[in-house]
Amino acid sequence: MASDTIIQVRNLWYRYRDDIVALKGVDLDIGAGDFVAVIGQNGSGKTTLVKHFNGLLQPASGQVLVGGHDTRKVGVGALARTIGFVFQNPDHQIFCATTREEVAFGPRNLGLAGEELDGRVEEALHRFGLVELADSPPAVLGFGMRRKISVASVYAMRPRVFVLDEPTTGLDWRNSMSLMDTVRSMHEDGHTIILVTHDMKLVCEFAQRSLVLRDGGILAYDDTREIFKRSEILKETGIEPPQIAELSKRMMSYGMPDDVLTVDEFRAAYVGIGRSLR
Amino acid sequence: MSLTFDLYVARRSWAHRVDPRVKLLFVVLGAVTMILFSNLLFMVAALAAVHLLTASAGTPRDRFSWVWRAMLPVNVLIPLLWTVFYPEGEVLFRVWVLRFTPLALARGLAVAARLDTIALICFFWLFTTDQMSIVRSLVKVGMPFEWGLVLAISLRYLPTIYGLYNVVADAQRARALDVSRGNIVTRLKSYLPILVAMLISALRTADQLGKALESRALGLEGVERTSLHEISFSKVDYLIAAWLVIAFAGAVVLRALGLFTHPWYPLA
Repeated sequence: MASDTIIQVRNLWYRYRDDIVALKGVDLDIGAGDFVAVIGQNGSGKTTLVKHFNGLLQPASGQVLVGGHDTRKVGVGALARTIGFVFQNPDHQIFCATTREEVAFGPRNLGLAGEELDGRVEEALHRFGLVELADSPPAVLGFGMRRKISVASVYAMRPRVFVLDEPTTGLDWRNSMSLMDTVRSMHEDGHTIILVTHDMKLVCEFAQRSLVLRDGGILAYDDTREIFKRSEILKETGIEPPQIAELSKRMMSYGMPDDVLTVDEFRAAYVGIGRSLR
Repeated sequence: MSLTFDLYVARRSWAHRVDPRVKLLFVVLGAVTMILFSNLLFMVAALAAVHLLTASAGTPRDRFSWVWRAMLPVNVLIPLLWTVFYPEGEVLFRVWVLRFTPLALARGLAVAARLDTIALICFFWLFTTDQMSIVRSLVKVGMPFEWGLVLAISLRYLPTIYGLYNVVADAQRARALDVSRGNIVTRLKSYLPILVAMLISALRTADQLGKALESRALGLEGVERTSLHEISFSKVDYLIAAWLVIAFAGAVVLRALGLFTHPWYPLA
C-alpha cells in the first residue's frame, strides 16, 4: 500500500432534499494505490459517498480533497482526470456508433488527439479484450461486453483512481472474474481502486481494505481480513461472509485459522492441517 | 412537487370521493361556461368559487401558490398586451401612440381571470384524482383500454425518465463531458451523448416493458378484460352530475339573454 493519501474526506455531511441525511460526518483517508471495498446495506450511503470523490455531489458541510484539491473548487470534468467513475449500469453512458468511438469519448473530452488518443484507445481495447468488437455498435452487444466497454472507456482516460459502482451486477461468475482480474491488473499497475459492492466473495478475493458504512456513517475501516474477523460488525450491517470463511471458522477446533477469506487460502490451510493430523 | 409529475394530493375529502367521471364533467362544463362569458365580475366570482371548492378538498396552500406562480406570466402579459393593442372606449391616458382605456384593461383582466379559472378547474381535477383514477375514468367514458394504459404508463414513467436523465448526465459528466462550454450550437451538440444514451436506455426499457406486459397476457384475443377496481356512480355522484348539467343549462340561458358578456357591466 502506498503511503501518500489520494482522497481525504473531512467531516462530510450530505442531505438529499432537506429531510434525508445520507452522510453524517464521514472522516476518511484513502491511500494512493489502495484497493478499497465500500460495503454496507442499501441506503447506507455508499454511492452517495463515492459520488463526492469526482464532484458529482458536493458536501452540504465538510470537505473532500482529491490529490489535495477541494472538490468544491474543481469541476467534475477536471476531477475526471484523477477519478474515473464507472457507473452501475453501462447503458447510462453508451451512446456511440462504435466501441472505438465510445472508448475514445472520454480521452477526447480531456483534449487528447492524434497518436496519444489512438494509443490510449488501442491499449484499452486490448486490455479489455475488445479489439474484435472495436467497430461494432456497443449498444447492441451483450451485457457483459457493454460492461467491459464502460470500464474500458473510463480506463482510456487514465485516471489515478477508479471508482467502480457494483461493476459485476448482472454478470455471470466467469464475466465477473474476467472483469475483476482486469481490475486487479490495473491495481497492480498502481491505480487506486474503490469498489462499491454487495458481493462479499469479491471483497474477500480482491480488496485489501474495506470500508463498512451504516446509516451514513463509518462503522469500520480496516484491512479486509480484520473486518471479516469481527463478527459483531458483520452482524450489525447484515453482511454475510463468504461461505468459505464461515466454513473455516466452524473448523477452528480442527486447527483452521479464523481469518480465511478465499478458497485458495482455505485449501492451503486445509492441506497444512491434513499434514499435521497425519 | 415539480419533479414528481404527479399533482395528486392524497386526502379523504368529499372531492376525492366523487367519481372521477363527475369531476371530468365538471372540467368540461366549467371550461365551456368560462368561454361563454366575458364579464370581469363574473370571472372573478367564478375564480373565487373554484378557489373555495379546491380549498374545501383539503388542498394545501403551497399548491395554490404553485398554481399562481405558474399563471403569473398570463396574469401580467394578457392585461398588459390587451390594454396596449386593443384600446376601446374612453381613453384614460396616452403615452406616445398608445392609448390606455379602462374597457381594454377590464377585458384583459377578464381574459386572464378566465384562463386562471379554467386552469384552477383542471388543477382541482388533478389535485383530487390520482393518476390511475384519471385513466380509469377516461377508459370508462370511451377511451380504448390500450390508450388508457399508454397514458398511465407515460405518467408513471415521467419521473423515471427524469431520473434517467440525471443519471446519464452524471455518467457523461464523469467522463469529462462539459455541457456549459462554447456557443449555443456547441452546447446543444454536447447534449447529444446524454440524449442518445437516454434514448437507447428508454428504448431498451420500453422493449422490456412491452415483453413483460405481453407475457402477462395483455391483449389476449377472445377474452374480455376485467378490472380489479371498478369505479361506480353513487347517489351523490348522480346528484352532483345532475346539478352540474342544470347549472350549465342555466349558464347557457344567461348567455342567450346576453348577460355577463360586457367586460364591465354584468347586465348590459
